[in-house]
Amino acid sequence: MDGFLDLIRDITIYFSMFYPLLYIKSFVSNNKAFKFFTIYLVTIAIIQFSLVFIVKTQLGSNIFLSHFYFMLQFVLLSLFYAELLKFKWIIGVMGFVLIGVTCQFIDDPSLFYRYNPTGFMVTQLLIVIYALLYFYKALSKKSAFLIVNIGILFYLLSSALIFASGNLIFDVKIPEYVSAKLGDINIVLYLAFQCLIFVEWWKNYSVLKIK
Amino acid sequence: MVEELFGTENQIVNIIFIAITILLVMSISIVLFFYFSRNRIKKTQLEKANLVISHQKEIFRSTIITQEEERKRIAQDLHDAISSKLNIVSLNANFLAKEDITSTEANKFGNSILKVTTTILESSRKIAHELLPPTLQKFGLEAAIEELYEELYDTQKYKIKYSVSYSEKFLSADHELHLFRIVQELMSNSIKYAEATTLTFLLETKKNSLYLQYNDDGKGIDLNTIQKIKGLGMIGIENRVAILNGKLNIDTSPNNGITVTIELDR
Repeated sequence: MDGFLDLIRDITIYFSMFYPLLYIKSFVSNNKAFKFFTIYLVTIAIIQFSLVFIVKTQLGSNIFLSHFYFMLQFVLLSLFYAELLKFKWIIGVMGFVLIGVTCQFIDDPSLFYRYNPTGFMVTQLLIVIYALLYFYKALSKKSAFLIVNIGILFYLLSSALIFASGNLIFDVKIPEYVSAKLGDINIVLYLAFQCLIFVEWWKNYSVLKIK
Repeated sequence: MVEELFGTENQIVNIIFIAITILLVMSISIVLFFYFSRNRIKKTQLEKANLVISHQKEIFRSTIITQEEERKRIAQDLHDAISSKLNIVSLNANFLAKEDITSTEANKFGNSILKVTTTILESSRKIAHELLPPTLQKFGLEAAIEELYEELYDTQKYKIKYSVSYSEKFLSADHELHLFRIVQELMSNSIKYAEATTLTFLLETKKNSLYLQYNDDGKGIDLNTIQKIKGLGMIGIENRVAILNGKLNIDTSPNNGITVTIELDR
């Protein structure tokens, strides 16, 4: 079982570096939303790579990367949805949340070396709300990025709690296998999300459309 | 491991696992809900579109039928009023061309030719006039409708009351023609089929709306049969009102005449 999960873990890591290339291939000929999404994928790939790099070289804790992961994910997906939904207020909410998180770090700089459950929950759930709004918008007309939207909704909603409970690893009472289990669940969900991103590219962007 | 999970220390962990499962189920059900609603909405949209298409087809079909009938009528008119009479002219001219005719005969044929050509001219003017009344183009809708009623009044067979206050350029030129055709059609129905004696007509435009009321005291007709009788040109009227984006209301029953109102907004 562990060997299988390790395999999935490796797959997600390499996969996350592979499909941004597919999206970059179609970068120029597509709209702004597509560009934001591609930048998001590239950013996540870089963070994944740094994560693996830090683990492999044993440079120390890689928890600080989680803050980059969440904030960059929030910013880029907010821009992505602001573009898809054509709602200006999403940018406003984004600014507001960014200010809030900055205040959190000023208030308690040691937060940098722990997980930030409040920040995770707020940013993930906001994106989930945008995804739901997008579903509503897509009900009656043909819309782009539906498969990715399904992935974002399902992954961000179900993984919100996993990340929010990340600080459990600091709790001595909780055995280590528990956080490992949470990590495993996350890996499986993440692979499903990646597959959906790949399917989106495969179905809608793999063949250059003649306009 | 199960026992461990249910131990008091791991109660929180347990709850977290359950919560994650619930969130997962929730997100999947949202996606499914979205998927099925979308399908249903798509289906209703398709049905609506089909309905619109079939309606348009019906309009198209009846437009072609009316067009064909119109052509038939024109062909008949041309044949009766022009071709047959031109035959007479040609025959008379033939006689004139002979060398051995006396001047009295020549005069006779000449007069006959003159008489016939005059009627031909009158007929061709009438046909052209019916096809597209020059008044409409030159003096506008109000004058054209007034002319229509004056012509009818001149026959002295009908009592006519009409009031037209149409602000010029309320409708575009082709829409004016549609409205004119509607009035023409209604009048010809009243004369041809309804045996009406009194006709009243009201047309007025306000700032953004137009109101037309047409009324006769003829035989009237059962509303259920009105659709079936293509000759009445009712379908034509309906189509034209549809093109004008107006609201058509027909109120009639046997022996009670007919009242037609058309309302449209700019």
